[in-house]
Amino acid sequence: MKTTINEIDGKLVATFEGQLDTAAAVEVEKELKPLYDNEDKDIMIDCEKLEYIASSGLRILLGILKKAKSHGHTVTLKSLNDDIKNVFQMTGFINLFNFE
Amino acid sequence: MNILEKIRSHFSRRTWITLIIVFAALMLELFSAAQYYYTKRILEEELEKKASIEITMKAILVKSMLNTTEQVLNSYMVELTKLAQDTDDIDDAICTIAQANHYFKGVGLAFKPGYFEGGDELFEPWGFNSSSGVQFKENIASRESHDYTNYKFYSEPMSTGKPYWSDPYIDTVETHSFITTYSIPIIDKNGERAGIAGIDLSLEWLNDTLNNRHIYPSSFCMLLTDNGKLISQPSKSHHKHKDFDDAVRLINDPTADKRIVTNSKINVIEFVTEDGEDACVFFHHMRGKPHWQVAVVCYDKEVFGELYKMQLRTGLLMLLGFLLLGYIIYRFLKNNKRMAQNELEHERLNTELHVAQRIQSEMLPKADIEHSNVDIAGMLVAAREVGGDIYDFFVRDEKLFFCIGDASGKGVPSALVMSVTHSLFRAIGARESNPARIMQLINHAVCEGNESSMFVTYFIGVLDLPTGRLHYCNAGHDVPIMITDKVHKLDVKPNLPLAVMGDWQFEGQDIKLEPGETFLLYTDGLTEAMNVHKHQFGIERVLDIVKSSLGSSPQELLNSMLDAMHHFVGEAEQSDDLTMLAIKYTPTIDDVVLEREITVINDVEQVTLLNDFVDAFCADLKMHTSEATQMRLAVEEAAVNVINYAYPEGEKGELNVKAIATASSLKFVLTDSGMSFAPTDAPDVDTSLSAEDRRIGGLGIFLVRQLMDSINYERINGHNVLTLTKKLLVTND
Repeated sequence: MKTTINEIDGKLVATFEGQLDTAAAVEVEKELKPLYDNEDKDIMIDCEKLEYIASSGLRILLGILKKAKSHGHTVTLKSLNDDIKNVFQMTGFINLFNFE
Repeated sequence: MNILEKIRSHFSRRTWITLIIVFAALMLELFSAAQYYYTKRILEEELEKKASIEITMKAILVKSMLNTTEQVLNSYMVELTKLAQDTDDIDDAICTIAQANHYFKGVGLAFKPGYFEGGDELFEPWGFNSSSGVQFKENIASRESHDYTNYKFYSEPMSTGKPYWSDPYIDTVETHSFITTYSIPIIDKNGERAGIAGIDLSLEWLNDTLNNRHIYPSSFCMLLTDNGKLISQPSKSHHKHKDFDDAVRLINDPTADKRIVTNSKINVIEFVTEDGEDACVFFHHMRGKPHWQVAVVCYDKEVFGELYKMQLRTGLLMLLGFLLLGYIIYRFLKNNKRMAQNELEHERLNTELHVAQRIQSEMLPKADIEHSNVDIAGMLVAAREVGGDIYDFFVRDEKLFFCIGDASGKGVPSALVMSVTHSLFRAIGARESNPARIMQLINHAVCEGNESSMFVTYFIGVLDLPTGRLHYCNAGHDVPIMITDKVHKLDVKPNLPLAVMGDWQFEGQDIKLEPGETFLLYTDGLTEAMNVHKHQFGIERVLDIVKSSLGSSPQELLNSMLDAMHHFVGEAEQSDDLTMLAIKYTPTIDDVVLEREITVINDVEQVTLLNDFVDAFCADLKMHTSEATQMRLAVEEAAVNVINYAYPEGEKGELNVKAIATASSLKFVLTDSGMSFAPTDAPDVDTSLSAEDRRIGGLGIFLVRQLMDSINYERINGHNVLTLTKKLLVTND
């Protein structure tokens, strides 16, 4: 699992690549600290190359979302594949995030 | 529609009844008034008739006495002529006449002044009746300075030559009695009027004659002179003394409002006495001389008294009748209304009962369980519309939850208690798999606020379908019958029924069922079903039927049981609800296509190994990648749950995952030796909450449920065994 974070057009853009399973979650959570600490920007997460996500991954995303929302910012998920979208659907997370 | 129907439909029934009452009242009133009028007329006519007869009779009586006097004196006419010539026999003649009648007070002659030459100027010989016989006075005129020429008894016959009756007066000369004088002229031999002869007639008899009897108790008669002077009246003791004067005054009053009684010449005047009583006076002149008047006074009270009494009685009767009529109509209307209300109420109750019945029957599980490992049949025959019996079953997480119960009593109250119990069973059973624990929670809930002292016998079982392990808890219910190739009763702990003690610790038990084993649950409606001789069906007969039905399906068993019971009960009425539930454990054993296992330790890093294991297994089964990803996610979530929570922090533990594929299903069995924990009892996640309200935890098991067709937890021999099952589409390639 690989993550990169860039600032593009005033947004924080994170790119996920690989499988976000429970084993990977601990490391990923650390890597995404800038997103947690962000107080002044909307967040965009590019999931085009994300292959798999477990509930531990969903928890990380929920944590980021709660933080962003508390500062009045949005979290947008981009290019999710169908399987992952299905997981969002099942858990109701589809109602919480913005999708592109 | 004819006119009658038009009218009928136009008015309400209430209006009709009011009209009838008003009409009846009018009719009665009219009838009563007419009756009063005619009766009064009759009484009036009777009064007039009576008064006329009275007056006529009294007049005749008085007249007859007067006639006697007249006849006596007239018969002496010749002797009197002689006496006018020769006065020697005067004393004899006077005494003879005076003795003729004892009412003759005195008899006298009065001659023209100076008639006898050389005699006294005024000559009036007179004799009177005394206690010692007739006393004779030779000339009372000289002695008493009694100038008779001034008296009408003398002057009238002398001037007219006709007999004369004086008005009554008190004799002041000798007898001092109340008298009237009849006098006739004495004609001498020359045909000249020599003087008069007179008889003083005592009027003592008048009172007796006039008032010896009355036509009405208080009525009385009076005699008046021609010019209205009162001659005779009832004795002074008569209590209406004042009324005499009134009557006399009226008779003499030419302006008084008098009328003539029909068919007679009798006058009548109606008046009001001083005491305010209505009265009337009838009066009439006697024929001939003296032209006296006879009067009768009557009081309305006595004449119409009976009528008034009758009127009062009739009035009271009518009032009573009306009240009765009113009451009857009131009751009739009220009854009608109440009957209509009762009918409505009854209908409403019936409808409600039918709805309740439908609700209750809808609470019973309808569809057969879609699980190949069990065959189940239930039956409930309520004694009334609704009853206190229930059975239920449902499958959750590869477990068959079932119950049977009987609330004490019958009908609506026990149905209500039972529906509460049943709802609790469903609600608690949705997240709790331990029968004793379910029983505990239900008991706790129903004990709270249960003041009706109803109780419920209940049996709860949870059958783990993959393993055949039956967990159960019996709360005082009839012991289930276990059927293999032998028949025996299930061993149950003696727990109290529900709703008896809130803090009772229910004890659960478990056994392992053999494939094909059947068990029969029932309520006492079966064993206590009575025939007309009050004999009970009894457990022995139940066992006999069970024994003779070995090998039959649950439905067949229930049918045979019902038939046997009906046969036994015959015509007797069903007195209690009858409920039966039969469950047969029929595990299917599919051929295993592929089976592998892996054991990892409780470290999240090991999840990668597991994921690879699942991926490889699914790939070998040629599963679609999306489905394979779902399997991996499900197993990962279930495994992470164990890795994170099964063992105390820092303690090393193992997790074994076994993947078993048959032609129709794929199973992952996760086994660990950690703390007993049933993830299947965790509450569902509410996916509709907003980001702020969503909790971080609880997603894992929720996801597993979503991804797999069933998950099943069992604690077996100190191990947590979680089985995840996915049905596979059977393909041809």
